[in-house]
Amino acid sequence: MDEMLVHMENGERTYSRGKTPVAAVVSATCTIMPGDRIALMGPSGSGKSTLLHLIGGLDSLTSGRLTWPALGARETLRPAKVGLVFQMPSLLAPLTVVENVEIPLLLGSGSADKARAAALDALERTGLRSIADKLPEELSGGQAQRVAVARALASHPRLLLADEPTGQLDSATARHLFDVLLESLRGTDTALVVATHDKVVAERLNTVWHMQHGILEVAA
Amino acid sequence: MLTILWLKGLFAYRSGRLLGAIVGVALTVALLASIGVFIASSSATMTRRAAADVPVDWQVQLSPGVDASGIANAIGKSTAYTALEQVGYASTAGFSANAGGTLQTTGPGKVVGLSPNYRQHFPTELRLLIGSLDGVLVAQQTASNLHVTIGDTVTIQRVGLPPVKVIVGGVVDLPNADSLFQAVGVPAGASPQAPPDNVLILPDTQWRQVFDPQIAVRPDSVRMQFHVRITRNLPADPNTAFVYVQQMANNLEARVAGSALVGNNLAARLDSVRKDSLYALVLFLFLGIPGAILAMLLTMAVAASGVERRRQEQALLRTRGAATSQLLRLAALEAMIVGVGGVALGIAIASIAAGTITSVGLFASITSIIWTANASLVGLILAVVAVLYPAWLQARNSTVMAARAVVGRGRKPIWQRVYLDVILLVVSAIIFWRTASTGYQVVLAPEGVPQTSVAYETFLAPLCLWVGVALLAMRLCGGGLEHGRRVLASMLRPIAKKLSGIVSASLGRQYVRLARGIVLVALAFSFATSTAVFNTTYNAQARVDAVLTNGADVTVTGSTAFAPGSMLSQLKALPGATVVQPMQHRFAYVGNDLQDMYGIDPARISDVTSMSNAFFANGDAQATLAALAMRPDGVLVSQETATNYQLAVGDQINLRLLSASDHQYHAVKFHFLGVVREFPTAPKDSFLVANASYIAQQTGSSAAEIVLIHTTANPADLAIQVRNVVSALAGARVTDIGTTQKIIGSSLTSVDLRGLTSLELTFAILLLAGATGLILALGLAERRRTFALLAALGAKRNQLGAFLWSEGAVIQISGGIIGIALGFGIAQMLVTILTGVFDPPPEVLAIPWVYLVVMTLAAIASMVAAVLSTQIASRRPVVEALRDL
Repeated sequence: MDEMLVHMENGERTYSRGKTPVAAVVSATCTIMPGDRIALMGPSGSGKSTLLHLIGGLDSLTSGRLTWPALGARETLRPAKVGLVFQMPSLLAPLTVVENVEIPLLLGSGSADKARAAALDALERTGLRSIADKLPEELSGGQAQRVAVARALASHPRLLLADEPTGQLDSATARHLFDVLLESLRGTDTALVVATHDKVVAERLNTVWHMQHGILEVAA
Repeated sequence: MLTILWLKGLFAYRSGRLLGAIVGVALTVALLASIGVFIASSSATMTRRAAADVPVDWQVQLSPGVDASGIANAIGKSTAYTALEQVGYASTAGFSANAGGTLQTTGPGKVVGLSPNYRQHFPTELRLLIGSLDGVLVAQQTASNLHVTIGDTVTIQRVGLPPVKVIVGGVVDLPNADSLFQAVGVPAGASPQAPPDNVLILPDTQWRQVFDPQIAVRPDSVRMQFHVRITRNLPADPNTAFVYVQQMANNLEARVAGSALVGNNLAARLDSVRKDSLYALVLFLFLGIPGAILAMLLTMAVAASGVERRRQEQALLRTRGAATSQLLRLAALEAMIVGVGGVALGIAIASIAAGTITSVGLFASITSIIWTANASLVGLILAVVAVLYPAWLQARNSTVMAARAVVGRGRKPIWQRVYLDVILLVVSAIIFWRTASTGYQVVLAPEGVPQTSVAYETFLAPLCLWVGVALLAMRLCGGGLEHGRRVLASMLRPIAKKLSGIVSASLGRQYVRLARGIVLVALAFSFATSTAVFNTTYNAQARVDAVLTNGADVTVTGSTAFAPGSMLSQLKALPGATVVQPMQHRFAYVGNDLQDMYGIDPARISDVTSMSNAFFANGDAQATLAALAMRPDGVLVSQETATNYQLAVGDQINLRLLSASDHQYHAVKFHFLGVVREFPTAPKDSFLVANASYIAQQTGSSAAEIVLIHTTANPADLAIQVRNVVSALAGARVTDIGTTQKIIGSSLTSVDLRGLTSLELTFAILLLAGATGLILALGLAERRRTFALLAALGAKRNQLGAFLWSEGAVIQISGGIIGIALGFGIAQMLVTILTGVFDPPPEVLAIPWVYLVVMTLAAIASMVAAVLSTQIASRRPVVEALRDL
């Protein structure tokens, strides 16, 4: 059996808002295996983003246990092992498309030449090779999110976390973006977790997790 | 309600930007107000010092036969006075005395009659060398000519009457003989009349007894004067004081209607200071205004650093229904807080500076009050321009601007398209060339004429250079960053390592913002550098001026009879006396003109005192002194003497020198070697410099009347020891350079200028630190999103640091190099334009190494603080940072 990528047990994340503690994630238990395709659904404010941030190592639990058995320590997750796609525009304005894509590779251990080659390859795979030298301000919203996906894929991560990547796109563009994402992952054992409101998106993935008031319901 | 909410938000979340803008306005106001205070203070100091130097304010000369009491009454009606003394001047055919069995005689001389109170009222006219002031006094040179001392008898050869014998009671020096014996009533600008070579002073009762008969037979040979000390409630400004004193004298002359003429020494002294005062004004403006402009630019840059955020805030408010007028009201509120806060803080800083560095308060004079009011107005306008105007522009043109952001990408600004930078540099060069090559006078204060003028257009040369280089730097840096990414990447490799390509690409695409930062830092560096270099050069020249006046660090001045040169071995033995050298100070007749003559050892004189190239007409001190050393009978003369006698190098001149053996003047042959313009301790007009050994050989006396001492210790402390050594020498005077520097004739070396430059140097450091640190910090704060994203993508602390340090290094190093080079250029330009300030003019710029190092360290520290604070801020949990975006 493949080794687990992520394992969370009774994970809790509580924030302080003034003097009031707010529980964003309550006693969550889940496991992510290689090749998983998971849709994380739930209303706004239900704790989806917090859960993704915890899984991606951006945030830490208030209590409970979270490990990455196949990935190693939390500090080593990014940029090579975990890729991230955000809901908001996340490209760096002064860098071109290809430079944006190669950033995680340069932040990792690869050389500058290899990083550029891998970035171009990622753009090729996502059909964005022709806009490699454009600046983010010259792209449409859909193109920018596709570049963000290419950036997340460029380092061939074992786990890809996408936080409502289509949230700011129209349905046609969102569908196209999702097509690109799934197509790029076809044949790989990269696990995918997508936080989404979109049932159509969720239906295209193997597993659906639900969150409500910070409580995670993981399908059997 | 919205206003209160907005205010709360402004203080809670935009306090850094708000404080930065307030500090910028405060620095502008403080600098401008300080300049005003210093202008007022320096003018008042100059007037006070100038007046204090004047031995007798007015010498009112009576026409023969006029009733003296009537003139005295008229004086009282024209001005309030604190002293009024009647003085008699009688011409004589000469004096004679029997000394050592020989009869010594002199040429024509003057006998002055003074009351017993005269010295009390006008203490600087007479300096007692030996004896008592109560009886008959003989001037030092006359005593030397007649070879008489206390108790000896001198015969006065009266004009048209039998001679009269008097007994010498004391020997005096007449430090202000030029004004004491001036020809009253000659037109302004006429050649000054040399004081008489032979002078005797009698108590007024005795003078009456001796010369009343001479008045009867030869009234033309006797003159009566009133010496007046007027009540000193003069206006603070030298020019106004000059006009005021001149008008009082005119009033007196009108009252007495030709019965008397006024020798207005006070007005003449104020007249000479007016130019210094105007130069001081120009200097303050030249040095201070760039700092104020820089502070304004800094304020605007601080305000501009929030432009993106403000745009977002405006958009947010608009979506919630806020009208343009409401948006503008909120921006006006921010501008008011910045303006009022900045003005209040600026006035507080200026007040502290004024109280600390000068004795004049911020509101002590009309001039400084006007300057403070104007500075406050500038501060308020600046706040409006920096905060309200951009907000208005955004509110009004947001759609157009948004469109322009894309459509106008890559389009050069209009100043680049019309090559304004090049035009400004050419204009600067033309104005500078016109000023420097034609001996153009920046300040004009014609002698005796109330009107003065300052050629303010010469300001344009450094101003155009400043702005021109700033724009050129923006063009070149922008171009370099945009197109030279590969070069930049290789330069950044030590900092950014394999991220250097990305970092250089990122910086290259932000070339406009970075170029602005570089230029701002460059201007701050240039302001600090130019102020420091000019100030150091100025101080070095002030010291040269002081050395010129004092002679050396410590100088002993005596007479031939009591020559300090005789105590050379004791002086050399004093601890701290590094080099001790004798110098003769004799008198020699050039034709009928008696001139000061200095006998030196040309091979060693430069060991003890500064020998500037500017002292000699050929501009080469070393060559001139070497030529003098080679030719024992060589002599250097003043330009005036060389011109009057049509001398060519190598010509033989016969000078008459006093022989020690028979106390008579005898002709001695010299050969003319060159023209000397200035020399330590020498007067400003005509004098001679020759070999001491030759003078000693020809006069039979090797007595050195002056001893020059160079020390590495404190000159004032050494002077105390020297005074103890020479206390036995009658009339010996010991002066040190520090004291001389304080009382030196040129008021420009007054403490006020030092105060202002100290303040400016402090401001320069603050502005530099502000420009490097604040701009970087605010710029980086505005890009928190970039750093949050990088952190989310997995950037480690050192990798984030690569972006931050690279940006800091690019701004700091480029700005530093451009700024320091520009600063030296500006300083050189100022020194050349303001040549009139310097006496003698500097040969090279003095470099303030310590200040430059401190300045650079301050800038680096500021940059490091900015980067570290951003790094610390970026250590926040990534999720928290992302949530704020």
